[in-house]
Amino acid sequence: MKGLQVFGENSKMADVIHKDYSLIPILGRFGIKLGFGNQSVKEICDSKGIDVGFLLEIINLYHDPDYFPENHLRDYKAKQIVDYLSHTHQYYLNVKIPQIERYIQEMEKDPSIEVRKNIGLLRKFFQEYKDEIQEHFKEEEENVFPYILSLENALKEEVCGSDLMKRIKNCPIEIYERHHDNLDVKLSDMKNIIIRFLPPVQCEDTCEQLLVNLFRMESDLEDHTRIEENVLIPNVKKLERKVMEIYGVTR
Amino acid sequence: MELLDKKIQLIVASDHFLCRLGIKTLLSVIGVDADLLEIKNLGELNSELNNGNRPSYLIISDSILPSPRHKFIEDLRVKCADTKLMIICEKLSKTYNCDQLVVQSYEQKQVLEKFQDFFNEPEPVVNSEETSVLSDREIDVLKSVALGLSNKEVADHLCISINTVITHRKNITSKLGIKSISGLTVYALLNNIIQAEEVH
Repeated sequence: MKGLQVFGENSKMADVIHKDYSLIPILGRFGIKLGFGNQSVKEICDSKGIDVGFLLEIINLYHDPDYFPENHLRDYKAKQIVDYLSHTHQYYLNVKIPQIERYIQEMEKDPSIEVRKNIGLLRKFFQEYKDEIQEHFKEEEENVFPYILSLENALKEEVCGSDLMKRIKNCPIEIYERHHDNLDVKLSDMKNIIIRFLPPVQCEDTCEQLLVNLFRMESDLEDHTRIEENVLIPNVKKLERKVMEIYGVTR
Repeated sequence: MELLDKKIQLIVASDHFLCRLGIKTLLSVIGVDADLLEIKNLGELNSELNNGNRPSYLIISDSILPSPRHKFIEDLRVKCADTKLMIICEKLSKTYNCDQLVVQSYEQKQVLEKFQDFFNEPEPVVNSEETSVLSDREIDVLKSVALGLSNKEVADHLCISINTVITHRKNITSKLGIKSISGLTVYALLNNIIQAEEVH
């Protein structure tokens, strides 16, 4: 049935992967490595100090695009969400993007000058995309994530500086939500150029791999955006409200 | 082919003078030449509608609407089935049944895009055998866009309205499946529509 939680605390981690192998890299982002024997999701999370509810939310969201978090209003530690998202950024920058670049480099070894010229165009296009995505991640890491952590910190330390107060009033997460760019336009363009318009190349196999990896990255990014929008942003809004309730009126 | 050659009928209903003025300014920026009627309150709007005025375009500030606002809008849509409706509202509302929604806090770029989309004529129906081939005019537009010209510059260069440029661009994107400008540039280079030396 769609929309319901497929994986629970007592699911065996091995069964999770058998059911959906696209979750392998997600576990990696939590620092969970393969070789988990017969342990359940909860057992593994407990041994690694991971909030099992949060992990379940993420893998269910990845597995089923229609899944709507049951524990929507549950509090997750902001640091936990931010850590996960930062690891995801690292995964794109250190694993996914270099992988795609390697396929492009490989294709650029084609004997035909014409083909090399065409692949050169793709390489430049992908480089532009890479710059864009790096910029986007940098903005989140330097500007958005520290803000989220400082909100949580204000609640914990029971101190809220005037700068933070100003930011909640003038530049709340809602503004970021409104401007949250789509990172998948260029990826989808690149796929289309290869599928429909790229003249034949000699290394068909590499080209096929490149295409498959572009598809994977695109769908992974869609899931990533969904997590930011369904888990991160609602949590931040809640933190903002709490901080405002405590410190907003008296000042 | 100019799509907006004949004047369009437009009613702007808002209790804020600045809002009405802003809309008029925007229309001239995006090159929409409209037969415009300004309305300041709900009473005037109702009497226009009761007199049988059915404009092709209607822009309303939700501040003049009686509550429940979404109910009023539903009735309006039934009454003026062929009218394209834009609502300008204070806060984002998903309950309004309209063609475009503009929130007052939007930035310039967002507002411009909403207005351009609103006045853009529906895409002309293309025959299925033509769908994969760009027309000569579309190739002209693609060439200029791929070389980095803005919509305004393309319009001036080809002596067509900005709206026509936007329509061509929409058609190009739906035929090629490429949205970004740099993607269109790659397509144009692959197909020798432009040469590498021409790209800055």
